[in-house]
Amino acid sequence: MSTAKESGHPQLREDDRELLRRYHDLGDQSAREALVERHMPLVRSLARRYAGRGEPLDDIEQVGAIGLIKAIDRFELEREVALATYATPNVVGEIKRHFRDKGWAIRVPRALQELNAKMSSTIDRLTATLGRSPSIAEIAESLETTPEDVLEAIEVGSAYTTLSLSAPVGEDAADPLEAIGGEDEGFERSDDRAALAPALARLPQREREILRMRFEEGLPQTQIAEQVGLSQMHVSRLIRRSLTAMRDELD
Amino acid sequence: MPAPDKISFETPLHGEFGPVVRLIVGGIAARADFGFEAMDDLQLAVERLLAEAGSDGDVKLSFELRADGIRTRIGPLPEHEIAQALQDPEGAPGTLTLGRILSTVVDSYGVEESTDGHIVVRLEKLGRGGP
Repeated sequence: MSTAKESGHPQLREDDRELLRRYHDLGDQSAREALVERHMPLVRSLARRYAGRGEPLDDIEQVGAIGLIKAIDRFELEREVALATYATPNVVGEIKRHFRDKGWAIRVPRALQELNAKMSSTIDRLTATLGRSPSIAEIAESLETTPEDVLEAIEVGSAYTTLSLSAPVGEDAADPLEAIGGEDEGFERSDDRAALAPALARLPQREREILRMRFEEGLPQTQIAEQVGLSQMHVSRLIRRSLTAMRDELD
Repeated sequence: MPAPDKISFETPLHGEFGPVVRLIVGGIAARADFGFEAMDDLQLAVERLLAEAGSDGDVKLSFELRADGIRTRIGPLPEHEIAQALQDPEGAPGTLTLGRILSTVVDSYGVEESTDGHIVVRLEKLGRGGP
């Protein structure tokens, strides 16, 4: 039922190996094109994570395809690792570089960036004071702004979380998006695609534990935040990001 | 008792509009005076359902601001992709199904209608006025 191996590094597929050999050893350009075509679903899946950040999805896919081509060109057959595994950081890196070069961050109004910076601590402080999760109106009042600005600032924070992938998110600084590079076996959809067990196993330990506390124990974010020593907003974003990464792996 | 306020809109399913949908759901939840966590739960439920719906076509979202919370309807969604996960919230040991996620973050959910191989999923999220 799974599209990825249960454990360990996925191995290089025989058909990929043959195409890579034809391209690298014989200079067969059609083999290179075939490899690009075969692995474009991976690029599209990774590109979608960056959609809605001010760049057309098609453009992000094209940038990601450059990363894929670089991976194909650099791949050494002796590696034995699956091409998808090897290509994932190349594709993600190319997309991240693109956003960095385009200066995405400076397009976020400074006032919203500043508001976002205060958001996490404000929510945690109000939660402790009120003994419950604060409403958007209460957060806005505390920050002397409007509910609409609070919502926008929270959303801006989500965008930053997705984009600032190089920022450490934990003690091991492992990024679940990049930790997942095991797409293989042709990306076919299984009937049981909403069951995320294999992808779950590949998340960093802390993210797995947060998901377990939230969806098995049913703990609220506030309690999870206390137990893992993060802000409630950070827990919320890790949950979203982990679920998105796991779901993307099934595409 | 006055009829609940209703808000509805249609959005393309492809990911570019995800943040827009989150913002609108957040605005509606704020209008219902939801706490941050309840708002975040509803946003997550909507986001996960849309993620299962693929990236082609449009989907309609409608919201009723009721006295005890928000009733959300999302559809049409592809039945084959979603129905099984919704019917099996527990899933196999060690798995995390869509049904499990929804049953954690909303108070109840169900399939409201089914036509032409598509379903409309109803989510109930109670606010502070709820039990």
